[in-house]
Amino acid sequence: MAGMDVEMRGNAIDEMLKKKRDLNPLPEPETLDDLVQGLKIIFQDNEINVEEVNEYMSKYKTNAREWYKYAKFDHHRYTRNLVDQGNGKFNLIVLCWGEGQGSGIHSHSDSHCFMKVLDGTLDETMYSWPSDSEDECELQKTETHSYGKDSVAYINDSMGLHRVENSSHTNTAVSLHLYSPPFDMVECFDQRTGHRKKVRVTFYSKFGQRTPFPDQGPTCTEQADVARTGCTSVETLEPENN
Amino acid sequence: MMYEDDVPPENRVDLAYSGLDLFPEHLSEKADRIQSLHLNNNRILVLPRAVSLFQELRHLDISANGLTHVSGELTHLPNLRTFIAKNNLLEDGALPKELGRCLSLQVLNLSGNGFMEFPEQIEGMAGLRALYFGANRLRTVPSEIKHMSRLEILYLGGNQISSLPLEVGSLSSLMSLVLCDNRLESIPPHLARLRNLRSLSLHNNRIAALPSEIIALRNLTELSLRGNPLVVNFVRDLSYDPPTLLELAGRGVKNSGIPYGEGDVPPNLYRYLSLARKCPNPKCTGVYFDARVKQIKFFCNIYA
Repeated sequence: MAGMDVEMRGNAIDEMLKKKRDLNPLPEPETLDDLVQGLKIIFQDNEINVEEVNEYMSKYKTNAREWYKYAKFDHHRYTRNLVDQGNGKFNLIVLCWGEGQGSGIHSHSDSHCFMKVLDGTLDETMYSWPSDSEDECELQKTETHSYGKDSVAYINDSMGLHRVENSSHTNTAVSLHLYSPPFDMVECFDQRTGHRKKVRVTFYSKFGQRTPFPDQGPTCTEQADVARTGCTSVETLEPENN
Repeated sequence: MMYEDDVPPENRVDLAYSGLDLFPEHLSEKADRIQSLHLNNNRILVLPRAVSLFQELRHLDISANGLTHVSGELTHLPNLRTFIAKNNLLEDGALPKELGRCLSLQVLNLSGNGFMEFPEQIEGMAGLRALYFGANRLRTVPSEIKHMSRLEILYLGGNQISSLPLEVGSLSSLMSLVLCDNRLESIPPHLARLRNLRSLSLHNNRIAALPSEIIALRNLTELSLRGNPLVVNFVRDLSYDPPTLLELAGRGVKNSGIPYGEGDVPPNLYRYLSLARKCPNPKCTGVYFDARVKQIKFFCNIYA
């Protein structure tokens, strides 16, 4: 391969690796460990084939005994529990959603995002990116989806923004997320105004160990848009006669 | 699960999803070692008297069994801390009258049943730390809830609650209050007394305004408000109705503090001036009569 430039060589390697997997397909991921190892192999490539990852993640059948140690719930918000750092190519994270808990509306830092439901049901509401023109405009809902056990969903920034939530008042939900490349900042959007803010995303636990973060700062759960002065609705407050 | 950390694995029995038609009474042979019992997702229609044989029981999960009532024998378990009976067929009157005698009980989960009234027995449970009553058919919350002084978690999402008693503000230990998916039109300002509140879930209600006192809650880091007219109205009601000349004149008189007496202006105008209303925003010193812009925003200086 001497004489090829770096990019051509990279693509040629990808092709070889893919051909190798086509000839010797990865074994079915029977356990979470299998899944992690298989994903590491897939992500050796520079280019990601979304279909391939989607299919591979679908093949793993959820088994609570295998991810139980990552399933740490919090009473106040959903949690993010790091499982593996994918040799630097991806983050694999277990998210735990208590009853009624949901995320804010967010984007994905130009990364691929795969979500597999391990327990319960998660509802996704997608929104278009706010337009650059108007100052304040409500975000437009585009699609909604409901994902049950073992289903796999995918999103990236070109598809829009989304909110994910556990709408159940009786059952918790657990999901497995793969983000590639890994990121630690997202943009969170206010539904009413389209305003965005950067939020650092943190881990509730890493590799099964609780890792409290000293100062949370703003989080990507839903928060009301704020300003420093103003008043609440005039309509329902008792008017004082002057 | 979250609550069982105090029980070593060898003292836990997991018979969930096991096709059981009856409560496994035979386990009572090993009762002295059984501290945690998972019987969820079976077909155990009746909780029999034999449950009281399990004197060491701390955690019992009998969710999703088609249970129609809970036997009083439960109250004979001196160590029972957690009782989970969600997704059953329990309705008003299904709980034993003596449930309040279960002094050791800390976590009670009755979500996904058919209660229409808040059970009286629960009101007196001063030792309860967490009460999950999601997805039932509650329409109100009794003021007697104030007796539940140790309550840290109160989950009432997915009911038909249209108002809250101000006594909810007395639950000084409360850290998490979930009221999403109900029919609330307002929130009593007394909630501002909940100094320990860390999360407040209000999404999908009919709330038009929030009491500004909520801003005082320094520990509140999670707040959901979406799906309330509080948010929707702002977008729709940015009105373009200009005030009348009469209104403008009235505002001018009031804002400038121009003195006037009953004899100085015609009686109809004197009456009109007395109708001036103050804007509730403490920073705004103006008045209005009929025309005002409804600024429906929630403002707070801890979330900026």
